[in-house]
Amino acid sequence: MRKNGNYDPSFAREVFENVDFGDEIKMCMQCGVCAASCPLSLQMDHPPRQIFTLIRAGKREEVLSSQAIMLCTSCYTCKVRCPRKIPVVDVMHGLANYALKNGFVPRKDTANFGGKFWDQVYRIGRIDEKDLPRRYFFAGGFVEGIKNTLSFSDIGIKMFLHKRMKLLPERKIKGIISLRKMLDKAEKMQERGGASV
Amino acid sequence: MSDIQTTNQAILVIGGGISGITAALEAAEAGYDVVLVEKNPYLGGRVAQLHQYFPKLCPPNCGLEINFRRMRQNPRVRFFTMAEVSSISGQEGEYDITVRLSPRYVNEKCTCCGKCAEVCEVEIDNPFNFGMDKTKTAYLPHEFAFPMRYVIDPSIACTEEGKKCQDACEYGAIDLDIKETTFDLKVGSIVWAAGWEPYDASQVEYYGFGEYKNVITNVMMERMASQNGPTGGKILRPSDGKEVKNVAFVQCAGSRDENYLAYCSGICCLASMKHATYLREQYPDCDVTIFFIDIRALDRLEDFYTKVQEDEKVTFIKSKIANITEDEETGDLLLEGENTRTGEQIRMSFDMVVLATGMVPNKINMDPLPDVLFDDYGFLIYDPEKAGIYGAGCVRRPTDVASSVQDATAASLKAIQSIARR
Repeated sequence: MRKNGNYDPSFAREVFENVDFGDEIKMCMQCGVCAASCPLSLQMDHPPRQIFTLIRAGKREEVLSSQAIMLCTSCYTCKVRCPRKIPVVDVMHGLANYALKNGFVPRKDTANFGGKFWDQVYRIGRIDEKDLPRRYFFAGGFVEGIKNTLSFSDIGIKMFLHKRMKLLPERKIKGIISLRKMLDKAEKMQERGGASV
Repeated sequence: MSDIQTTNQAILVIGGGISGITAALEAAEAGYDVVLVEKNPYLGGRVAQLHQYFPKLCPPNCGLEINFRRMRQNPRVRFFTMAEVSSISGQEGEYDITVRLSPRYVNEKCTCCGKCAEVCEVEIDNPFNFGMDKTKTAYLPHEFAFPMRYVIDPSIACTEEGKKCQDACEYGAIDLDIKETTFDLKVGSIVWAAGWEPYDASQVEYYGFGEYKNVITNVMMERMASQNGPTGGKILRPSDGKEVKNVAFVQCAGSRDENYLAYCSGICCLASMKHATYLREQYPDCDVTIFFIDIRALDRLEDFYTKVQEDEKVTFIKSKIANITEDEETGDLLLEGENTRTGEQIRMSFDMVVLATGMVPNKINMDPLPDVLFDDYGFLIYDPEKAGIYGAGCVRRPTDVASSVQDATAASLKAIQSIARR
């Protein structure tokens, strides 16, 4: 492959071919509207526009370990405003997924929470508002778990008062077997490259 | 007026802006009969609304005056204002045209004494100044209007107010009985120079045009800087009429954006830089910031860009602005964007914001549509297979005045060839 100084197109090609919506990045004209519309851009090490330009510059490590690709909260403002109609949200999620698959964990917390969330949906078909935080909080050990729980206790009490959280454990949904079949199939489809294939 | 006789040796020019005027005069001076049809009560179109041309910063009225004199001296050009082509039938060499004349209610006896406007009390938004001020319903479209003649707005034609104006006229120039008329023409070929309109900036919701008073568009800026504009040539903040100290220009306001106007109009960068010179001339202490995606100053126009860059009070920041919010108390505006050269997130406050909106080609309102081709954005495409109708100026592509004049001359030649080759 031809290399020009620091410019290496191989990572860009890798993203175009393997990341969900990765080839949409080709349309980017670097205007910065995504970054300026993003409610989390100040928390991001590299806002979307910079991520796109880093991909073009071949900075594989920097992109796949960037916190930004896992910070997206799916508010969709960037996707709505992008003058080139790039689905920025989907690209960011695609990158996050790709990073995890390749052994990068840009944000341990987010990855951890996502994993626990998925496990619980798979196990009982719904989210237990006590059980999920408990698993998430205690992932880092007992002492940290207690600290985390206490820091969220006021929210927990409010949720309880508003009947958003029960004292007893949540039960499995009725059609849990069917749901698992659906989720298994969805996962296989994703491995094959998405539902459209 | 409608006792006009033309043959299939004549050329019809639609639109009396700089392109239409040029096309008409070039053909007439080459010996062809030309009929020019203009929708407004005056000729000159968008150019008449400009304060200065870039890059020479000279007033457009000078060039328009020269063209009007050429027109007065040349009996081969006949023009109609407040007129629209309502139908075109036939083909190259034998077009049948119907022209609809809206009543002006003022005849050629008008001396522009202004007595009618003095007694008239009803006002409307002034279309010449994009509604930034009011005008009487008996009015002269603007100070340099050609033909120099008043207009009575149709809203008062059949009212007491209209009668009052009629009685005030000492010359019997106001005739409220004039009705809408139509007349037919035969022509051999047509030059289409219907021009453009500014893109509706209120479509871009997050810029707040129409909601925030101090967010204006580039064409409004042009009127404000003009001596015959709503503020007498003084650039002032619309919300409180104060002098401006810190002005931002937002380039590509809607342009180059698939959600709004997907193409680049090619003139807005230069227009904003020109506006920066207006501001810097009026206010030596005023700071100007131009937010851009790319500056598109092509060819010799790059010299103008270099000149404006040399001004230390003018700052260029590479960023498409993503949001404008208004401080309700002060009327100041907060702009947000990302400086794509440094990666910094921008949050800057300004007195006034000028949106650089693009050009949209004027639509053809005609049933059935004449046999012409358009591109996806409504611009006329030249198709050698469809000879007879030739676009000129901004109906073909967004462009500046100089290029419009060149394009109109070319279209004029095509229209002449169309007649001569038969």
